[in-house]
Amino acid sequence: MIRVEGVVKHFGGITALRDVSLEIPTGECHALMGENGAGKSTLAKIMAGIHRADAGSVWLDGQSVDFRSPADALKHGVAMVHQELASCPDLSIAENLSLGGIPRRFGIFVDREALNRRAREQLAAIGTSLDVTQSMSSLSTAQEQLVQIAAAVATGARVLLFDEPTSSLSDTEAESLFELIERLRDQGVTMVYVSHRIPEVLRLCDRVHVLRDGALAGSLDGEAADELSLVRLMIGRDLEPFVPRHLEGVPGEPLLEVRGFSSPNGFHEIDLDVRAGEIVGIAGLVGAGRSALTRALFGLDSAACGRVRMNGREVRLGSVRSAMDAGLGLVPEDRKRQGLVLGMGVAPNQSLGAAERFRRGLLMSREAESRHAAQALARVAVKGHSLHAPVAELSGGNQQKVVLSRWLDREARVLIVDEPTRGVDVGAKLAIHGLLDDLACSGAGVLLISSELPEVLGLSTRVGVMRDGRLVAMFDRSEASPDRVLAAMASGERSSSS
Amino acid sequence: MPLLPGSSRLAHSRAGTVRPKFMEAGLLLVILVIGVVLTLASDPVTVAGRTANNFLRLDNLIPNVATTMSWMAIMALGATLVIISGGIDISVGSIFGLSALGTAAVLQQLPSDASAWQSIPIAAVVAMGIGLLCGAINGALIVGLRVHPFIVTLGTMSIFRGIGLVSVKTKTLPSLGKELPASFTDGFVSQRWDVANTFVQPVPMLIMLVAVIAAWVYLGHTVSGRQIYAVGGNEEAARFAGLRTGRIKLRIYALAGLAAGLAGMVSVGFYQSANTATGQGYELTVIAAAVVGGASLMGGRGTALGAMLGALIIKLIENGIDILRTVDLGLFTVTVSKEYSKIIIGLAIVAAVAVDRFSGHLRVRRTVVEDSRPPA
Repeated sequence: MIRVEGVVKHFGGITALRDVSLEIPTGECHALMGENGAGKSTLAKIMAGIHRADAGSVWLDGQSVDFRSPADALKHGVAMVHQELASCPDLSIAENLSLGGIPRRFGIFVDREALNRRAREQLAAIGTSLDVTQSMSSLSTAQEQLVQIAAAVATGARVLLFDEPTSSLSDTEAESLFELIERLRDQGVTMVYVSHRIPEVLRLCDRVHVLRDGALAGSLDGEAADELSLVRLMIGRDLEPFVPRHLEGVPGEPLLEVRGFSSPNGFHEIDLDVRAGEIVGIAGLVGAGRSALTRALFGLDSAACGRVRMNGREVRLGSVRSAMDAGLGLVPEDRKRQGLVLGMGVAPNQSLGAAERFRRGLLMSREAESRHAAQALARVAVKGHSLHAPVAELSGGNQQKVVLSRWLDREARVLIVDEPTRGVDVGAKLAIHGLLDDLACSGAGVLLISSELPEVLGLSTRVGVMRDGRLVAMFDRSEASPDRVLAAMASGERSSSS
Repeated sequence: MPLLPGSSRLAHSRAGTVRPKFMEAGLLLVILVIGVVLTLASDPVTVAGRTANNFLRLDNLIPNVATTMSWMAIMALGATLVIISGGIDISVGSIFGLSALGTAAVLQQLPSDASAWQSIPIAAVVAMGIGLLCGAINGALIVGLRVHPFIVTLGTMSIFRGIGLVSVKTKTLPSLGKELPASFTDGFVSQRWDVANTFVQPVPMLIMLVAVIAAWVYLGHTVSGRQIYAVGGNEEAARFAGLRTGRIKLRIYALAGLAAGLAGMVSVGFYQSANTATGQGYELTVIAAAVVGGASLMGGRGTALGAMLGALIIKLIENGIDILRTVDLGLFTVTVSKEYSKIIIGLAIVAAVAVDRFSGHLRVRRTVVEDSRPPA
């Protein structure tokens, strides 16, 4: 049993947690939910010894504990499975599992047999088997997670904390993770599951604690909870269903025409049109080639071949400039790595790559830049923070809006958005959907890639499905039922990894 | 500071953010402290019938600090550009040497009474041309071969040095019996000014100041300068935003070469000669100056003023050890010999990086704090 009582945590001037108390009985799986910034991860990190509470206490099996470090927490049997996994990518699974104490022979040599045997046993304990001699870097995220869980269980962890464990897993991988979590729970492991994905929380958890603004907004039993009640707790009000306005119009001429587009980097023979005023959604499993396609369309894949036309004019492949000049824009999949210069201010990020327009003679007017950024960001309703504070200080939703506003400035005729709402809270998600809808209403085309089926189905005029690098289906909105899209995504062989 | 509409709530949260301005203020403070300590610790000396503080006098500060730091600082400006972009250039010492040799080789062909209109432009074009060319070669190799800049410039450091060795058999230029035009040396770079009855040679320092201002404007107030921070901060995001990162990097290394070339010109004009070992080992001092001045080897951070202040700190430490033979600490006396300067400068470098690391740590912790406002 793990219990927190009156936990308070401040970061600088911000209160991340205010007086939170809750209890997770032994052998149960409880969810911590809430929007980004609600404090759910912070609470989990306090339980795992990554942060220390400013006030309040953590109790483990009736004893008050004060973890000084994750290692200290681990000693007490509390371990956390992280989103981004810390491992030595070039060492083998077995070496990673024994990093703390590699078995030796004659005191100095590595006892490779014992090392590998131990690793196999640890993996077997959670019901998995992998080739323990392969390097960590060759594993998928899901497999890395398994290794991490195996390591935690092997050290005798009685409390396991998961922080958004499915954020980069495919549906099938997530499913096997859920089965593992259920098995571990049956073995009496206590689990804390941090997520903002309602369906998986409802499927897995015995009880759901919802945090809002750093305080506990309410706790519901798994059976009593449903999507509506959880969303209401998370945002503090009812959520109206979003109906895209662009559907009222009739799509115009094709803006983007893709024919026979292929690349050794993960997709083959793609034929695709995006017309003015429509949103074309692309569904598919992780690794189906969707992101590779978006990169190649934007000129970031020099090996791509085929034909891409914008407004009837041929686009030179493999050149970002010619893609941009033709009116293509890309909101990339990973906004922290590909979208933003995190250490740079909000304003320069807003005009990244387009600072040219603030040139006055030889010099650049920073004042014009700030003025412009303030206007552009007001348009997409980014709130908070100074324009000169590092963009890293913005929330995920606001960061994504900064990237989006860049393309609104450039008046992209076809905007490719790859996972536009990943890691974004409910409110910002709605706002981003609204922006994409507005864009389509204004006569631009949107190519939407998303792993969230409801997002694709809810926003799109047409829904395409990619599988193993091929566009295997294209449904009109009326035909695109979840069952049919899911069937198209999954049928046939397993998805390749690219 | 402009705030976005509807922003008040989190405005206070940026109070603790470490900004370059604070950093430069910190450097100035360090310089002030070093200056005060050295002034108090050094004895009065009598030169030409006048008594002055051994440290705090024009004919110490200009020849021993400002002049000898000038070429280092000019090169540190180039190194700062490179470091901001996330790269490194260890060939600048060799470029410096090659440019000094090349300038001397060309100038010694001129009559020794050639006019300033002839000698100075020729020197500038030759020195900066060699620097620019060498830098562009670095950039082209780094971008074209996609090899880490450390490896590329490790190679070119040796190549540029080797070119000097091969082409100058006499080891020293100007060759025996020849000399550089006086209009370039005594008439320009090593010109003597009479300031308050003290003769000083301030031209290298003035060239440095012009270069610092140029680099400051370039980095802070031009589109091209902004692109350097973007590439250094996150090269992939810069590429996704449509910046031509290859060209930008080529330009950065070319400019670093240009700075080393200019520094070589100043040095050859001041010393009135160059030899095949000129500039050997300078790359490390130059990188140290940039790093002490706050450029982050992780990329994305650094300033022109910081580069100069970094060079100044290193020079002040060297100068302090030169003039303070013994320090009376009241209870006991410490004898500081010149050999200690390397150790102390080494400590200064490590301390500067540690401070940078610590402030970076604060920044990372700050970004943990997410926006905790409910949707409006």
